[in-house]
Order: sequence, then structure tokens, then C-alpha cells
Amino acid sequence: MSWREAARLSDVAFTELALQAIFALRQGNVLPPGPARALVPRARRRVLQSKLVIGGVLALFTLGGAYALSSAPLLHSSLAQGISSGEFRAGLLTGLFSLDVAFLWWTGMQVLPTFLAAGVFPLLETLPIDERTVARTASLLYLRLFDLPALTILVVTPLFVGLELGPLAGLAVVPGAVATVAFALALSLLTGRFFVRRVQGSRGGGGNAVVRWGYLVLWLLPAFAMFGFVIAAPGYFSLLRSIAETGSSTAGDLLFGAFPFPFAALAAITASGPDGMGLAAGGLDVLVAALGGYLALAAVAIYWVFASVRRIGLVPATGVRPLMPRAVALHSVRPAYAVLVKDLRIASRTPGYAFLILLPILDALALGLWTYASAPSATAANSLGLAAVTTSALLATFFGPAFFAIEVFAHSYARTLPLSGRSLLGGKVALVAGMYLVASAVVAGLTLPRVFDPTLFLGFIAAELPAVLAASLLELGILLRRAEARGLPITNLYAGAWIAFLVAIPGLLVASLPLVAFQLAGAWTPDLALSLMGLVALAELALAAPFAAGRERS
Amino acid sequence: MAEAVVPLRVDGLSVVYGERPAVDRLSFTVGRGEIYGLLGSNGAGKTSTIRSIVGLVQPVGGRVEVFGLDHRTMGRRVKELIGYVPEVSLLYEALTPREFLEFVASVRRLDPKVASERARNYANAFQLVEEFDEPIVTLSNGTRQKVLLLAAFLHQPPLLVLDEPLNGLDPRSVRIMKELLARYAANGDRGVLFSTHTMEVAEQLCHRVGILDRGVLRGEGTVAALREKVRAGDASLEEVFLRLTEEREAVRAAVDALGGPE
Repeated sequence: MSWREAARLSDVAFTELALQAIFALRQGNVLPPGPARALVPRARRRVLQSKLVIGGVLALFTLGGAYALSSAPLLHSSLAQGISSGEFRAGLLTGLFSLDVAFLWWTGMQVLPTFLAAGVFPLLETLPIDERTVARTASLLYLRLFDLPALTILVVTPLFVGLELGPLAGLAVVPGAVATVAFALALSLLTGRFFVRRVQGSRGGGGNAVVRWGYLVLWLLPAFAMFGFVIAAPGYFSLLRSIAETGSSTAGDLLFGAFPFPFAALAAITASGPDGMGLAAGGLDVLVAALGGYLALAAVAIYWVFASVRRIGLVPATGVRPLMPRAVALHSVRPAYAVLVKDLRIASRTPGYAFLILLPILDALALGLWTYASAPSATAANSLGLAAVTTSALLATFFGPAFFAIEVFAHSYARTLPLSGRSLLGGKVALVAGMYLVASAVVAGLTLPRVFDPTLFLGFIAAELPAVLAASLLELGILLRRAEARGLPITNLYAGAWIAFLVAIPGLLVASLPLVAFQLAGAWTPDLALSLMGLVALAELALAAPFAAGRERS
Repeated sequence: MAEAVVPLRVDGLSVVYGERPAVDRLSFTVGRGEIYGLLGSNGAGKTSTIRSIVGLVQPVGGRVEVFGLDHRTMGRRVKELIGYVPEVSLLYEALTPREFLEFVASVRRLDPKVASERARNYANAFQLVEEFDEPIVTLSNGTRQKVLLLAAFLHQPPLLVLDEPLNGLDPRSVRIMKELLARYAANGDRGVLFSTHTMEVAEQLCHRVGILDRGVLRGEGTVAALREKVRAGDASLEEVFLRLTEEREAVRAAVDALGGPE
């Protein structure tokens, strides 16, 4: 058997994977209406669209990086005075590679559970094909999850950098692009294995839930790497400047040696020479050694991915059983609360959903802590705190529609239960409101002792709450109506994300309107701004609630 | 005179997938105290019929009434009256049996004490206690089936709709289920619709059977009445089934065509 045979088998397996990713039939969703023969082409088309979207986002990162490189003189003077133009370019490319790794890794983390749950690997093992072909098929199947996004990094990045800094610099970016893709693929697989072992198979009970949520926070790291880069860019350049001023040091060596700076520096040096980087001989040695080390590590990562995909695809999710089982007792609650608890329990073993719940809360934590670093005055802390609450409201609203997709799990069973649309909406809206309130409480806990007007701050949180509820009711009401008419929309990264995005637009508008009212009113009647904001939010809730509750699910 | 209210009345039910008819103008009833077996080959339309009854498939024609309530207009009330076990155990994989059953008990608004007592009794009977806190994704097919059975019995529904409920169960649990179903229906007010293609089970358990073939009901009644209909003497239900579906000669021809072992 050959690579060609493996490629053919992986194509068939990918069709099954696409079908499961889009329609989630193995996870208990019902067959959508319409002719069955159209399902496979539809699934493949939707997966391709999603890959194009992800590739497009990565291309946008590169385009942004290229734009920053082309505007280097202007940006350099405003962002990074005191460092050489070569270091500035290396800093920009470091940011680009960091974003690429983080985004590709994050993408991998979102799709890995579906990849493992599709049940393709156990089926492959039963086929009369040799071990090597099975391993190759598994590897090719894994690579196909990332093909377009990875190609975007491997082709578009050198192309744009080459256009900005010259063809040689474009070529010099290639090793960095390869290492970026290799590390992202390996990290995705590593976290995928971690998910199967530590999260998916984790037993029930409060203690285990705490441990699971703790693990899931780790899953957020790549997303925060993206977020952190944006926030930390000025600090990063000032660190580079201080290293340039003090000369060679351990901190400088660590910074020059940290991935992906050596790859970024390689392109910058190719474009402007070692003098343009302002590097001492010691710094150059560190770069060369780090480059060699990372390239070797990338080769090991690729080898490990090829050797491990098949094994990881067969890992059973099993927990450790205690000697004494807990007593059988059921704590039934009100249906809406049961929906909320069920969603939280599912999210605690499903990283994609845990991510959506944790992100606004951790974002609030990061912004709350940031006020200590960047807002020495009470007024500035107040403004930053309000901005953090605003972000929490908008993030919670934006992610609200995605929680509807949890209903896809076991939908073919759950639809036979007498669950009313109102209870379903109640549970989901409570989750969104809970995210907003917890995130706001985190901000309040961190900033209240320092803000100049605690009453305004707490009033702001309370006044925005009806708007968050209204936005969530509107979004989920639209999705519920759509589900009744056309089946459940599956909204994850590789399937129908556009539905969640579209529905989030009116939601975001509703959540934003009281904030805009607060800002506008604040300009001419500051005393009434908060009251006006609250009135607008309550009016929105009064309009959205009848819309959402208007139709009852049968 | 008005028709008596029965646990289940299916009248002229038709289901179509794309252009392919799966069920064609099917009519039958399940009476009080009755276990009705729906028999048929693979693809005969049993699961499509059951999925229409529980509201998972929208029929293109006909109606389904549960205790006189039309599924199209009284969907949620009808769902309260039904306990359902699907053919394939697709559950919330990320939940444990305890978490899943708590959700079901909550949606069905069961009193915690009552739900706990029932769950304890059924979990003990089906030897499910040790797996009660394992994520469903880690459970075997048979154990998942037990979880579904427990969920179906949790609210002691007046109508049980079971699609191949014995799939994957161990012999001990199969015996318990048979006894349980017989006693359940014996209550007198409840009905059980039971689909299977295992003739022995149907013969032992069902008061009446309906034989479905390519979406059409070929015969219906007690096993004795069906034997009489096809003049099968004291032949097995399997023989009756093959005669009613006109598959007897086809089966013989298929076996002959295969020949002996190579």
C-alpha cells in the first residue's frame, strides 16, 4: 500500500468527518429535512467554506503585518522610538507568527473533539489494510483539517513579506512559517489528547467539575496569546528598547531566543543586514542557536504528529472508578434551571463551549488587572472599569447564539421530552446573563476600591443587565424559530458559524444601544446619563421578551 | 357512538424521505393494557413509524393520537404521556447517567424523592449503580441502553414507545425487561408499543402484533389469528412473518443461490 492509497482512504474518511462535523449525527442530532443524497456535498461545501473563512482570517493577519511593515517609518516613530528599524520589523513579524500559531492552535482545539468523536479511526482499524497505510491515512486526515489555513501561512506570509521587504526576506520567512504550522499542529494534537484523557472521561461530582474547569482554563491560553499580543505590543517594544539601551543581557538573550523572534529576526536581518538589527555578536549567536534548536524541534513535532495521530484517535475516554459508588439520588429542579445546569455540565467536558463561557470572565480578569498597570488615577480606573464591563456585556451577547448549538447533542432524544421553548430560552438566557454578571463582578472586585464613583460603577452594571437579557432573548428567539422551521442550526467553527455571527449582529446592536445612550447623554446631562441608559435597556427588554416568548415550541 | 380513547391511535400515517416512501397509509391502535409488537425486516418502516409517534419525523399524511390528543396540536402534552427508547442510544455523551437523568426528571417536573426512588430501584435492577457517575461517552452500548430504559420508566408513562429496546442488553437484563413490560401493561390503563425483528420475543411478549413490510401493514392481530390467516397451523411466528411478507420463497431462493460452504 502507498501514500496514494492512504490519500484515497483519507478522502473517504474526510467525507465522513465533514458529515459528522456539520450534521453531528453521531452526537445525536436528527437528520435534517431534504433529500439525503444532498447531505454529503452540503457537508463538504460547508467545511470548505469554514476553512476558507479561517484561511481568510489568517490572510488578514498577514495583510495587517504587511501593512505595518509598509508603514514602518511612521509606526516606528510612534510605537518604538529607540530601537533599530530591523528590531522593529522583527518585532512586527514576531507578532504575526505569534498570532498565526495561536489562531491555528485555537482552531485545532475547536475541531479536535469532533475529529476524535467522529469515530473514523476505529473504523479504519477494521479495514484489511496494513499498519503503515492506516497510520498514513490518519496523518493525512489530520492534515486535511488544517490544509487551507496552513497553506495560507506557508504561502501568503512569504508572499506578502517578500513584496514588502524583498524576495530574499520573503524566502527567509519560510522556515518561520513551517515552524509555526508544525508547532500549531503538534500543540493541537497534544491538547486533543489531554482533552480525551482529562476532560472527556472525567467523572461527575463537584470536585471533578472544579478540576475540569481548571483544565479548561488552560485551553484558553492560545486565545489569550492573541489577545495578549494586542495588549502587550507597546510593552514588548519598550522591552526591546530597554535591551537595546543596556546592551547584551540575560533578559535580552531570553527575548531574542524566545519563539518566534529568531525566525522573525532572520527575515529582518535578510532585509536590512545584521547592522540594521543593531545586534551585538552575542545576540547573533543566540539567534543562530535558537533557530537551529527550533527547526530541530519543528522536525520532531512533525514526526510526533505523524506517529501519534492514529494512536490518539483510538484512546478511549475512561475515568478512574472509585471503590464505593455514590448513592443513587436525583435532584430535579425547574426545567429552565435544568437547561442551565445541563449546559454548564456539557460545557465542562466540551472545550469549545467552555471557551465561550470562560472567555468573557477571563477577559474581565485581564482587563481588571490591567487597570493596575495602566490607570494610576481613579478617573482612569473608572473609565477602564466601565470599558471592561462593556466588553463583558458585548462578549456575552456575542457568544450567546453559540450556546443554542448545545441543543444539537442528543437532539433526536431531547426533542421527545416535554421541554417548552420558554424553559429552553430561560436556561440559555440565564447562562448569558450569568456570564455577564460574573465577569462584571470580577471587574468590580478588582476596581471598586480604586474607582472614584462606586455608585455609578454598580449602577452601570445594573443598567446594562436588561439590555444583555434583551439581546440574548432576541438572538435565541430567532434561533428557536429557525430551529422549529428548519431544524437546529449547528454553529461551531467548522459548521455554520455564519449563522451565529448573523444572529449576533442584532444582539450586539441591542446590547450597545444603552451604552451609546450613556455616552451621548453623558456629554450634555451627566446626572441623567445612567437613568437614560437604564430606561433604554428596560424598553429593549420590554420589546424583546414578547418576541422571544411569542411562540411555544411543541 | 364515540370511539374509546386508547393509548395510541395511528390513522393513515405516511412518511416520505426525499422521494422514497418509508411508511404508506399505516393504521393501527394500541389498546389499554396491551403490548403491541411492530414487526418487520430492516427498512420496513418500524423506526419511521415510531419516530413519527414521538414527534421526531413530520409525517406527510395521517394522524397520531395519544390518549385522544393529536400530536400536531398538543405536542408537549403528548410528550408528557410517552416514555421513549430510541433504536440507537444517542445521548448527551458529555453527561453522566446521573446528570442525564436529573435533566430528564427536571424537564418532566418529577418530585426529587419520587424520581430518586424510581432511579434507585431501576439502577439496582439493571446493575447500573457503578456506572452512575461515568460520562456516557465511556459506557458500553448495553449500559447506554439501560440508561435509556431508566429514563423511559422514570415518569411511569401511560404509553411506552420502545424501538428495539432489548438491543445490546445482557441476558439478565433482557429477562428483567420482559417481566417488567408484562407487569407494566398488566396495570390495565397503560399501553406499550414495541418494535423488534426478533420473532421469539414478540411471540412471548406481545398481545397483538402488526407485520410491516416496505411501509405497509401486511397483517395484524394475535399470533394465533395471524397463523390462522396464513393457514400456518402451529408454525412459528417467523414462518407466519415470512408468509405474510411473501418472503418465504425468496428466502429459500437466496439460500440456494448461496450454496454450501466453499
